[in-house]
Amino acid sequence: MKCQKCKVKNATTHVKRVVNGEYEEYMLCGDCAHEMGFDNVFDMDMPDMFGGLMKSLFGALPSRSGAARCPLCGSTLGDITNTGKVGCAKCYEVFYNELLPSVKRIHGNTTHSGKTPGRQAIPEKSKENSEKEIKEQIEGLKKQLDKAVEVQNFELAAELRDKIREMEGK
Amino acid sequence: MTDAVNISSRVRLARNLREYPFPDRMSDAQKAEVIEKVKAAVLNLSKKLLFVNLSELSELDLVSMVERHLISPEFADKQSGRALAVSEDESVSIMINEEDHLRIQVILPGLCVEEAYRIAEEIESELSLYLNFAFDRNLGYLTQCPTNLGTGMRASVMMHLCAMSETRTVPRIATNLQKLGIAIRGTYGEGTDATSSLYQLSNQVTLGISEAAAVENIRNIALQLSETEKLTRENLMQSMEYQDKISRSMGILLTARLISYNEAVRLLSNVRLGICEGIIDNVSIDTVDKLIVSIQPASLMRREGRKLSPQERDKVRAELIKSTLR
Ligand SMILES: [Zn+2]
Ligand SMILES: [Zn+2]
Repeated sequence: MKCQKCKVKNATTHVKRVVNGEYEEYMLCGDCAHEMGFDNVFDMDMPDMFGGLMKSLFGALPSRSGAARCPLCGSTLGDITNTGKVGCAKCYEVFYNELLPSVKRIHGNTTHSGKTPGRQAIPEKSKENSEKEIKEQIEGLKKQLDKAVEVQNFELAAELRDKIREMEGK
Repeated sequence: MTDAVNISSRVRLARNLREYPFPDRMSDAQKAEVIEKVKAAVLNLSKKLLFVNLSELSELDLVSMVERHLISPEFADKQSGRALAVSEDESVSIMINEEDHLRIQVILPGLCVEEAYRIAEEIESELSLYLNFAFDRNLGYLTQCPTNLGTGMRASVMMHLCAMSETRTVPRIATNLQKLGIAIRGTYGEGTDATSSLYQLSNQVTLGISEAAAVENIRNIALQLSETEKLTRENLMQSMEYQDKISRSMGILLTARLISYNEAVRLLSNVRLGICEGIIDNVSIDTVDKLIVSIQPASLMRREGRKLSPQERDKVRAELIKSTLR
């Protein structure tokens, strides 16, 4: 099938959008889809591009962790590469080595920076913060810890406790 | 407040519950469980949100929410196993079981990405007291699509770049921005044709860059683009031809009896520029921005309380525009 926009190239991407207050579906070529922003994950995922990318990177290799399937959701590596979607949080652990090259291709990076659970995002400038600011941050964490204990989220409480210890140690 | 160039700012955070598969892999029962868990957490928030299962809403309600950028088209497409939490002023919305278990969104008028992020982050922090969000030390917040890994944050600004789109400078800028991990894209009207000169600026990279840094990048680029747009507008306004185009646009909007969405948006875009440049003074930018949202098909039909044929819509649209601009 030809692309419905340029009517030249072959359609590879199936997109849905709201038109005239109703849904309409389009078949577009990769270029037209890109031009229209349909590979923009803000509005839509990009299974074709991403799946294709991952497939070309490591084909049908077995997982280096030895597991064929994710124990939580049952996904195989093939399921993930074919759909471009990861099955669950555990998959990232099970297939970590296999997914990492694609993650690097997408983001140019493989190490998170920014907010971590149970803590206000600390601006980067604050790395050389004064003692006073660190004290304030610890106070904030302690308040969150109290609240976490209050609502009986002990997992988060433990994380917060460790973080407070770490910060007080410094 | 909305300004001459920046229409609205939006921040979206993607989060998932550690103990459940991502939405595409969830059973109906698991979806219902996630909805219950999130609902309990949402009801504890200090900000009051209305919580609804999507199946309780009509298709018209849903599509008009898409038109107001409250929810995504993909989310509205399937109603079962999904829920929505939304604030009364519609500035805060949480989509449950879209591509990720939670998509927390804050949308504010004008250029205020930092403020939007601050609000989203506050809600996310409160929710994290009740929900265990999937997180990895290296990969950050874990998401169904790896393109959102890390902060799970997408910050965007809707910009009216009418002069720059007239002079066709946007594509070149888009290529440069891409190298910085930032995208600028035209927003589209009906069908596959670009209609208005509304663009969305957003960050593409979410791993390895903090929320604060990404938000600051977007803000700085929006400011630079605004400056360029304003200079380009000044040049453009030197020409009598362009001034004439603006006056004629207003003329058509005030007299048309039938008007399509595409045409209306194109003309309103010219009028918006005319207001900013002092050529038109009896209408506010805010009025035009609201009109651009409310003349969309589903929003029109919802306002009328019934389904309308395309021709009926063009008639109702023309009437609404006339009565608003007069
Ligand atoms: Zn095409
Ligand atoms: Zn899994």
